[in-house]
Amino acid sequence: MMTRPQTDFTAAEAAMTEPAEPILDLRNLSKTFGEVQAIKGVDLKVQPGEFVTVVGPSGCGKSTLFNIVSGLEEPDSGSVLRFEGRSVMARDLLGNVSFMPQRDLLLAWRNVIDNAILPLEIEGANRAEARKEAERMLPEFGLAGFAKQYPHELSGGMRQRVALMRTFMFKRDLMLLDEPFGALDALTRTMMQRWLLDVWQKHRRTVLFITHDVDEAIFLGDRVLVMTARPGAIKLERKVDLPRPRNADLVTSPEFIALKRDLLDAIEEESMKTFGPSSH
Amino acid sequence: MTHDPMTPSRHALARGLLGGGALFLIWEIAARGFDLPAYILPAVSEILLRFWTARDVLGGAAVYTLGEAFGGYLLGGAVGVALALCVTLVPVLRRVIVPAATAVNSVPIVAFSPLILLWFGMGAGSKVVMVAVAVSFTMFVSALAGFDRVDERSVNLMRSFGASRAAILWKLRLPTALPLILSGMRLSTVRSLIVAIVTEMLGAYGGLGWVIYQAVIVIDFVQVWAAIFVASAASLAFFGFVSFLERRLVFWR
Ligand SMILES: Nc1ncnc2c1ncn2[C@@H]1O[C@H](COP(=O)(O)OP(=O)(O)OP(=O)(O)O)[C@@H](O)[C@H]1O
Ligand SMILES: [Mg+2]
Repeated sequence: MMTRPQTDFTAAEAAMTEPAEPILDLRNLSKTFGEVQAIKGVDLKVQPGEFVTVVGPSGCGKSTLFNIVSGLEEPDSGSVLRFEGRSVMARDLLGNVSFMPQRDLLLAWRNVIDNAILPLEIEGANRAEARKEAERMLPEFGLAGFAKQYPHELSGGMRQRVALMRTFMFKRDLMLLDEPFGALDALTRTMMQRWLLDVWQKHRRTVLFITHDVDEAIFLGDRVLVMTARPGAIKLERKVDLPRPRNADLVTSPEFIALKRDLLDAIEEESMKTFGPSSH
Repeated sequence: MTHDPMTPSRHALARGLLGGGALFLIWEIAARGFDLPAYILPAVSEILLRFWTARDVLGGAAVYTLGEAFGGYLLGGAVGVALALCVTLVPVLRRVIVPAATAVNSVPIVAFSPLILLWFGMGAGSKVVMVAVAVSFTMFVSALAGFDRVDERSVNLMRSFGASRAAILWKLRLPTALPLILSGMRLSTVRSLIVAIVTEMLGAYGGLGWVIYQAVIVIDFVQVWAAIFVASAASLAFFGFVSFLERRLVFWR
């Protein structure tokens, strides 16, 4: 089948590396908006603590996938959505998955601290305690001394870090990050990637991470998924067997480059379907 | 961020005072030099003198009119914002309420005043209602534009945190709409005083409009001008107060 991994990543290896209970288990997940089928038959298992990156052509349904897993949209009937071993409706996931959308969406009238504690406030936590906790986390997110600044006083990279901090403060086992560094310049982006790995290593959450950038996908992920053109499905799945902690010079290693070539080929093939001449 | 042309800076204020002073000087010279009769233009000095001699009448009238205007202003503001909120939360209402409000507003508000006076009497009640009607439409339009600026993606983010509809309203929709609500409130200050005064001229037991009307009847034009000055000062003070509040509350622009 198209959606099966077509690589050296065999079923035997999968059985060895995958423990029993995935935190997220999607089977035959589809979503149709009127005439448009955004995703079609997505099958995906994510293990606790895993960092999975998702790449795919623009408009292939990556954000749609996240909107379902965060509980904002119900999938079409026939889709199976399992979370922590239980079969659930998408809306049951509202408040249970920590979701960072494509834009930072900071609230202009709240300073850094108060933006970061928004999810805790919504949960009904004590505001003073939440602020204290956020205050302690500031240095880790490179925001020490910026507690009282407002979003319009921050650079793009800092706003993104505040949004990430807000996502981390919402302590849920599964984190969905939708192109968190998409709007940043290359240098800031590299810094943020390394920093994200540091933070992730300390907090050990399960991460699903969307990106357009294959380098980023390999550098960060335990596993990279390539999606097909719309309607999106999983085209290719590759394990990233590169040691952690990962350094910047990793990107020039032969393993990295070989993996990158495979992934780029797959993405190129799918992008051609989106932008190439129509077949009918 | 862009500077709002409607909020005066310190310089603009100084220039305004200077311009006003110069105008008064020319006015005084013209009125005295050409020996104009009071019904055309009384001298400024006479008007200022009248502030003092008629201070009880003018002060009482100003308080009376400001009370009516402020009452109607708050009532109309609340109605306008509440309607805009209904339309935002229940989108099907939009197709009913927006055309209805536009239709009501396209009739000049003063045309309603005989009816309002009939229904609510000659006292302060009818003025409060007139002001509320006038203000509520402006506030409805401003608040609706404010609520429409709410980003659906932010709503979704709050939902993903498990937020209730009330929490989304309180923590997202209202603050997002606040800048436009407050600029509507600022623009409504002047309108509320105008409507209160005009309605008083059509029938009242007190207030600046009533003082003006009475003074015209007894051909006391100095009194008319004194009341006009007091009305202008009250209007400026009201506008300035709300502008100040606006700048305090919407600090992030
Ligand atoms: N709420 C919606 N209503 C109708 N169509 C939608 C909706 N959301 C998404 N779509 C459609 O579904 C398809 C997939 O959109 P989606 O945003 O998931 O793509 P994406 O992979 O995240 O793209 P990008 O990489 O540009 O962010 C698009 O064709 C889009 O127009
Ligand atoms: Mg997207």
